[in-house]
Amino acid sequence: MRYFWLGSLLVLLACACSTTPAPQAFAPVRLRWARDPETLDPLALPNQSAVDANNLLHLALLQIDYQRNTYAPALAQALPRAQLIGDSLTLLAYELREAAAWDSGQPVLATDVDFTLKLMHCPGLPNENSRAQFGFIREVHIDPANPHRFSLLCRSQGQEIVNTSGDFSVLPEASLDPEHTLRSFSLAALQDWPANRPPAPAVAALVHRYRQANVARHPNNIPGCGPYRLADWETNRQLRFRHKINWWGDNVQPTPFVLQARPRELIYSVLPDDAAAALALRRHELDVYPQVPARIFQQLQASPAAQQDFVFSTAPSYDILTVGFNTQRPALHDKRTRLALSHLLDPAGLMAATQLGQGRRTVGLLRPDNPFYNDSLPLPTYAPAQATALLRQAGWQRSADGQWRQPGGPPLALTLRYRATETNFATVALQLRAAAAQLGISITLLPSDNSVVTTSLETGDFDLYVRLVKSSPFGVNFMPILHTAAIGTGNFPRFGRPDTDRLLAAISTEGDLPRKRRLLRSFQVLMREEMPLLPLFFMPYRLAASRRLQHVVASGIKPGYAAMALSWPASPTPAGTP
Amino acid sequence: MGRWLLARLGRAAVAAWLIASLVFIGSRLVGGGPEQLALSDATDLSRPTGGGRTLARQQAAEQAVRHRLGLDLPLFYFSRTARPPVQWQWHGPANQYHRWAAGLLRGDLGYSYRDGQPVGTLLGQAVAYSLPLTGSAALLAVGLALGLGLYLAPGPAGWRRRLLLGLLAGWQVTPLFLLALGLLLLFANPDFLNILPGSGQAPEAASSVELVGYWLARSALPLLSLVLAVLPELTLPLAALLRHELKAGYATTARAKGLTAAQVLRRHALPNALLPLVTTLTDLLPTLVAGTVVVEVLFGLPGGGRLLAEAAAAHDYPVVVAAVLLSAAARLLGLVVADVLYFLADPRLRPSA
Repeated sequence: MRYFWLGSLLVLLACACSTTPAPQAFAPVRLRWARDPETLDPLALPNQSAVDANNLLHLALLQIDYQRNTYAPALAQALPRAQLIGDSLTLLAYELREAAAWDSGQPVLATDVDFTLKLMHCPGLPNENSRAQFGFIREVHIDPANPHRFSLLCRSQGQEIVNTSGDFSVLPEASLDPEHTLRSFSLAALQDWPANRPPAPAVAALVHRYRQANVARHPNNIPGCGPYRLADWETNRQLRFRHKINWWGDNVQPTPFVLQARPRELIYSVLPDDAAAALALRRHELDVYPQVPARIFQQLQASPAAQQDFVFSTAPSYDILTVGFNTQRPALHDKRTRLALSHLLDPAGLMAATQLGQGRRTVGLLRPDNPFYNDSLPLPTYAPAQATALLRQAGWQRSADGQWRQPGGPPLALTLRYRATETNFATVALQLRAAAAQLGISITLLPSDNSVVTTSLETGDFDLYVRLVKSSPFGVNFMPILHTAAIGTGNFPRFGRPDTDRLLAAISTEGDLPRKRRLLRSFQVLMREEMPLLPLFFMPYRLAASRRLQHVVASGIKPGYAAMALSWPASPTPAGTP
Repeated sequence: MGRWLLARLGRAAVAAWLIASLVFIGSRLVGGGPEQLALSDATDLSRPTGGGRTLARQQAAEQAVRHRLGLDLPLFYFSRTARPPVQWQWHGPANQYHRWAAGLLRGDLGYSYRDGQPVGTLLGQAVAYSLPLTGSAALLAVGLALGLGLYLAPGPAGWRRRLLLGLLAGWQVTPLFLLALGLLLLFANPDFLNILPGSGQAPEAASSVELVGYWLARSALPLLSLVLAVLPELTLPLAALLRHELKAGYATTARAKGLTAAQVLRRHALPNALLPLVTTLTDLLPTLVAGTVVVEVLFGLPGGGRLLAEAAAAHDYPVVVAAVLLSAAARLLGLVVADVLYFLADPRLRPSA
């Protein structure tokens, strides 16, 4: 009796910890999220988890095909036909799939697209991001003869707007605005509505209804047209999505990749700690672990048991680790000083130290597999002797105390800002500080909270910074980070002249490929000469997934895999089978 | 005693209010955070915006966020102009602090900036996870500390006692995240002992016995981490106090009257050594709150510590202020309870004495 309770406890623990059998074909696929989505409001989507969840519940006109890393038609029948109007407008003609339907069975129509775009501009909703992102769509022209056809009049030109014009979740007008009150407003009228003018009563009523629906927490309160429904959400713990019975996309033949939704159930576990997530994977509490940090990936690969159970893949992402220079600071105004400092960074050594040598080095902001990549430029290298020579050319002289001064000026001493939570940024900062110290240049490191760093960069309160630039294969518009109009927002180096602005604008709108190639090659040369920022390398995305899972598609685009493509084999194969 | 208690509780309520007010005003003076977090990164080239985000567009978007969250109102009843000539302006009740205070008096803690959900609901859900965890950790730690304190009181003679003292001293200097990670690597690791779950889901369609088993196993490591984190600071002072009491004259008298060493320890030394322990117990709350942040992040538990840490990182001020208010109230209440316990244990300390 004395050991009865202890024995019972051990039996209970053993029951709870017993190993699970091989998953059946319809077993849920369990994936790791580092953070909770916080809100599932399709207008807000503040983080990657929210974007992932939203892609299960709703569909866009175009969605990313992770197999080919391109946009592919989802709700749309085909990619839009683009027609340039004048020198600044584009008309994009779309047609919706006839089969596309809401959960209620009603078809997805052009009026739903029009309603969604207007909803993005209703004040009082968390739609500021959508408003900024899709503000370039000015008008929606619905074909009176075919409710599935419509055209979008866009205020810009360029391939990237063709892709992104269709990258928003379409919402059902019938359930949110059954009286069609928004139809009496044009999209442009809502966009241009003065901020100090109260919204029209019909708009205010719609906003009230939308907020009452509380889709942020209860997305099932409105019908979706995506393949999954939210079955369960335990905040900060897990979200469970169940495949809809008779989802319209299952009947599209042949099923395009973006409409393939194989798992019957997807369970996302919110595990913020990387080591705990790795152990959960090893214990088969997870089937997919995306964005694995380098050290944990190395440890998992080194374990024979883990190698038997999991497949590991690495894909170069489109996130570039960069060091930026404040070109408006007197000490860094001369491009030769910036070039000298860029020679104190060691991209090859940093890639080896932080990413196990994975990732991809680059000459500029384009990935080496981009057709516009300028392969005539040499890769940036660590060259302190060259740095010394360039400093001398820029007028810096080394004084007796070992410091560098321009005649009559203060010593060359710089500050470097970066986000404190990023270990990769810290490694870059420490390497640069050590290399600079050997040359007699003092660099003070200022790691801080993300919002402090961003505010400092926006206001120009820095000399150098370390940051990720997120790019994509879908466009080559660098205006948000290098145009003078973006100084104070995304142009942290505060770089730009009229000629560079013209070049950036020409690149973003040029449709002729040979001309675009010429423009982009000269842009890359210009960046190397002016050195407003130094791209060190493209970061890798690492993925670990159960060896039993089929159709594991690793991608360089976030989240780094295609969740809806995954499936279990019809009959389980023993672990270790390749 | 009743009047004293009421006055003490009133003072505690005022102090909690002042702490929350300071956090409310201080957090909003930082500025920038909620707007930046609501808007996507301006340097994100993966989502082109047709012409890029200009300064004017960025400012318009930030103003829209501020307006939606009510951050465009004046912060307090009055303010001072930022630039000379210095002038004071009166804003009346149309200010952020008044709205928050009025809401609080109605029991409305506001809405989270991140998901628009009522803060009260978020806090309630999180505390429902944390309270059983911290409560049982506190109870278990106190029970263990009493047992270990009595065991260690005779002095560090013998290898068992020396080993235990060494372990306790080691745990005391080990940061909690290292301790918890060590336990995770020790007991939930397929390469070592794979006997306890570190995370994972409850088995589907499980019987109630299996569910109880799952939750017992699931909470074992977080509970053990918290207990080990607070155990040394309870045990070591208690053992030292007991040793001190054993050297007192009344202990010698008790032994001279024929009581065994154990009887002297339990009946005479322990009641006297418990008084300082009450003070240590009231200090447990901050340690446990800090501990839950680490433990809940590491073990993937959706509790209050994690809610507070994530809200602070995301500049979700309504949640931060409410969580601080709750923590401050609990801490101050703990101090009142400690005073009451003192009075019960030692009549000389009572207000009427």
